[in-house]
Amino acid sequence: MKARILEHGDVLKIVDLLREQGHEVFAPFAGRGRDTWFDLVTDENRGRVQVHLPNPYYPPKRFVLPHIERLMKVRKSNGDIQIEPTYRDRKRAIFGIRSCDVAGIWHLDRFYLGRDFRDLYYEKRRKNLFLVNVVCTDPERDIGEECFCPCADTGPAARENFDLQVMDLGDEFMVVAGSPAGEAFFANPMFKQATEAHVEKRRAILGEVRKRFKTTTSWFPATVRYVSQGTILDKTWEEIGSRCLECGGCTYVCPACTCFTVSDRQIGPGEIERVRIWDACALSGFTRMAGGHNPRRAVHDRRNRRFFRKLAHYFIQRELSMACVGCGRCAAVCHGDIGMPSVVEMIRRATAENDKLQPV
Amino acid sequence: MSCVAHNSASAAAVATENIYLPKLVVLDRVTDDIPEVRTFYWHFEDATEQAKFKHFRPGQFAQVSLFGIGEFPASLPPSPTEEETFFTIRQVGSCTAALHQLKPGEKFAVRGPYGNGFRMEDYYGKNLVFVAGGIGLIPLRSCIVYALKHRDKYQRIQIYYGSKTPRELMYLPNLREWQQSSGIECYLTVDRSADSWSGNVGVVGSLFKQPGVQVPVENTTAFVCGPPVMFRFVIKDLLAMGFREGDIVSTLERYMKCGVGKCGHCCIGVAYVCVDGPVFTYEQIKKLGEDI
Ligand SMILES: Cc1cc2nc3c(=O)[nH]c(=O)nc-3n(C[C@H](O)[C@H](O)[C@H](O)COP(=O)(O)OP(=O)(O)OC[C@H]3O[C@@H](n4cnc5c(N)ncnc54)[C@H](O)[C@@H]3O)c2cc1C
Ligand code: SF4
Ligand code: FES
Repeated sequence: MKARILEHGDVLKIVDLLREQGHEVFAPFAGRGRDTWFDLVTDENRGRVQVHLPNPYYPPKRFVLPHIERLMKVRKSNGDIQIEPTYRDRKRAIFGIRSCDVAGIWHLDRFYLGRDFRDLYYEKRRKNLFLVNVVCTDPERDIGEECFCPCADTGPAARENFDLQVMDLGDEFMVVAGSPAGEAFFANPMFKQATEAHVEKRRAILGEVRKRFKTTTSWFPATVRYVSQGTILDKTWEEIGSRCLECGGCTYVCPACTCFTVSDRQIGPGEIERVRIWDACALSGFTRMAGGHNPRRAVHDRRNRRFFRKLAHYFIQRELSMACVGCGRCAAVCHGDIGMPSVVEMIRRATAENDKLQPV
Repeated sequence: MSCVAHNSASAAAVATENIYLPKLVVLDRVTDDIPEVRTFYWHFEDATEQAKFKHFRPGQFAQVSLFGIGEFPASLPPSPTEEETFFTIRQVGSCTAALHQLKPGEKFAVRGPYGNGFRMEDYYGKNLVFVAGGIGLIPLRSCIVYALKHRDKYQRIQIYYGSKTPRELMYLPNLREWQQSSGIECYLTVDRSADSWSGNVGVVGSLFKQPGVQVPVENTTAFVCGPPVMFRFVIKDLLAMGFREGDIVSTLERYMKCGVGKCGHCCIGVAYVCVDGPVFTYEQIKKLGEDI
């Protein structure tokens, strides 16, 4: 991949260039305390775009899969029915998407565009989305307590699936092109030639940054093995399930969760819209069938579902991508402390109890 | 299968088919089957859609849209060898009630066919044993009609079917035809008898022990569909007779929203019932790793 150098003060000019090309650009902003969010960049707020800040809890997933998305409009009159699918395919860009979330979108690509059926709504949004990845380099501002991307092999620097990647080298930025569309930006003279020394500096910084994560070794591979083999004790699953308050928060903040429900609603006289809405397998209505039979009744069954779906080897192989990208959001929002890192840890600890020694 | 991401740069041609978009159908006629269950004959407004749809396999299903109410999955009881397309639907909730209220000539919408279905070619040269309880006959009807149409491809064909009462026997005209046909052995039973009923009384499994009944076990595939309790007992009986778990097939029912492997609602263990199923062997069902 080709890399160039950008003067420190010029980094937001990438936002300007994207806007000039007709993209709606979304970028991270910071409020008080930990409060951060992605918002549409305007002339007014452009100066307040942040490069270093804690990753917003509300993931950028919504730019490819909005939490409520209209699929079609239906008009009924005099027994006649007209169905009109509604698509959104405006040119959009995300500036400042973190490496974990880049991997999250890649996972969604694998899921929504892969296998037997392609999702046209997703595809239209995705095809028009330009990604400017920012590498997390500031241990104070970028890296959170719960971040564990090194364990998921998604960060702190994404290796692919972005259009441009921006990394703070201290006194200047290194910009890497990950696609032909990204590389086209290098025609602009503000991108200067990079040297071997820059590449070396990047390597050194990343080496240091990797040491700043609280969790750098995790039991992911072993957990995947145990979940896939079905050797995790019911007791452990129940322990995890008993801590779940069924708020659905984990699935709401997860950049790699894919489930949705579909609903029809009246929007005018004789006019209906069909929408899809993010849904959560942690909620009890999720598998309920007509007549009240719910095959997945116990809370720990539903809770298992989420971890099973994310950790079973079968699904990882199916999408060639794992449904957890190590962003740590679920760990940050969970009231019961059963975010992904805790669950991996609980499974690790529980294996000690699996020893069945017979003193003779 | 191509699942390469489309970066803004490498934008390949966008797929044009919208998997969530149902196509309009016209209701032709409605017949009463058993209490609360009716059969709805319909055709696509667009003849090319009808032609496309007709390539379905027995055991597949479709998503049925009643706009303003919602969408629900329904098995395809017709065999692809039959002329008409229809659903047989029990009224249980809002969508099914809305369908029950439609009058001939009115429109609703359908998309599909979906699911793996039964690969009827895989059973060529075998005995087919169909065991159904209640409305479990709906998905099996398709296979039975298909098998009878291709009668020379199969060895013995047996049907064991039971319902609560005689009034609740589905597809009566078909049952009568099958009972009279020489190519097929059709045994019926009811849980509770009525005066007019001269047949067997008892659960479906009781038919296996009737005098004169002989279930072929070697070189046989058993198709089992019905309520969970019936399913469990029949499986026990079949295994006791010597059936291998891989030779027993069934269809699973799961809450479904999309039918195309995206919404996640039908996911059970490692399978998405809507795309990996709804047809599974008992061997697979056991391995799914969740309650059925
Ligand atoms: C593969 C498959 C084949 C089926 N074939 C038949 C058939 O041939 N005949 C028949 O009578 N029934 C069949 N069913 C069951 C049928 O889908 C449900 O009875 C129906 O969805 C109930 O919808 P409702 O709106 O009337 O009920 P409500 O309880 O009012 O449902 C409300 C909402 O929940 C959804 N919903 C409720 N139950 C189910 C469910 N089991 N599956 C999916 N969505 C559900 C509906 O989409 C609806 O929007 C089948 C189910 C599956 C999964
Ligand atoms: S499971 Fe948790 S840590 Fe993993 S991607 Fe989802 S929110 Fe992030
Ligand atoms: S019904 Fe949506 S994934 Fe199966």
